[in-house]
Amino acid sequence: MKRVLIIIPAYNEEESIERVVDDLIENYPQYDYLVINDGSKDKTLEICRKKGYNHLNMPINVGLADGVQAGLMYAYENKYDYAIQFDGDGQHDPSYIETMVDAMDECDICIGSRFVDKKKPFTSRMLGSNLIQLALLLTVHKRVKDPTSGMRMFSRPVIKAMAGTSDYGPEPDTLAHLIRSGARVKEVQVEMRDRTAGQSYLNLGRSIKYMFHMFFSILFVQWFRKKAKIRREEQK
Amino acid sequence: MTLTLRIVLIVASVLVVLYTIRKIRKSQLNIDDSVFWIGFSLMLLIMSIFPQIVEFFTRLLGIASPVNFVFLFVIFLILIKLFKLAIDLSITKHRLNHLIQRIAILNHDVDENTMNRLNELNDKVKK
Repeated sequence: MKRVLIIIPAYNEEESIERVVDDLIENYPQYDYLVINDGSKDKTLEICRKKGYNHLNMPINVGLADGVQAGLMYAYENKYDYAIQFDGDGQHDPSYIETMVDAMDECDICIGSRFVDKKKPFTSRMLGSNLIQLALLLTVHKRVKDPTSGMRMFSRPVIKAMAGTSDYGPEPDTLAHLIRSGARVKEVQVEMRDRTAGQSYLNLGRSIKYMFHMFFSILFVQWFRKKAKIRREEQK
Repeated sequence: MTLTLRIVLIVASVLVVLYTIRKIRKSQLNIDDSVFWIGFSLMLLIMSIFPQIVEFFTRLLGIASPVNFVFLFVIFLILIKLFKLAIDLSITKHRLNHLIQRIAILNHDVDENTMNRLNELNDKVKK
């Protein structure tokens, strides 16, 4: 049985965190979870303490990338086989975790993808997704249909690489870097719910900035990075 | 270079040196970081005392007026300094975030240990 850690980054998620975590505790006791309270200004921390959730409390807001990285450090130090990034706002459905764990036999990074079997809708946000997909196809020759999906599972070698050094935000440019370093990526079809509470971090301006940043990073910056060492256990 | 420009440069570089030394005495600036500013003002001083150096490079590079060479030189140095600052800032950001992550994980471990101790004590009391 593989040990799986569900990393739940939470920034001001007081309305939804309880439902998400209680669902995991009740219906998915085979997985461990870890809430990352990233310096929330609302009652997220109080709820975690009151309900006795397993959580990390970031004393200062550090942003999604470094919050998730703290979770990966925890996963690495506590000898987890897989770690999955899971939204605290109820968008992700935990019933797909099992399929993703199964898929991990053949890959290092498994993406919970919305568009494996389904067509991408033609919206402005998906235009950005297409751009990033194109950049990945051009640089690492890999067709990733949903590169911006926030539901990603990592194997232990990848956890080790991501927990060790800076600039490993859970973003598509890191994906490009890891693929170039030899990580195998697989996508699994998942359904995502619309968010039930709280606000998305990305508004239009931020989305455009994010897409532009990612596109540039994948096309130009990633060439110069030193490759990560991802050794697979079977090869030893 | 005109005499006025030379005087202005001399006064400015002397002031920069004095200001830097004052900040070092107050321990507001690392000695390491002050080397750049002292060196920078010394170079300005040399250029204003010996304008022949500036004129030589101006002719060598085919620049119309010596003062343009002074601008070019200063802008170049500032760009290098800016880039070094950007690197330092990146390193500092990374270190700060790493510390925050460590604190969060340490706190978690401490909480866990305290809970385990409490449970052990409770068990003993019950016995």
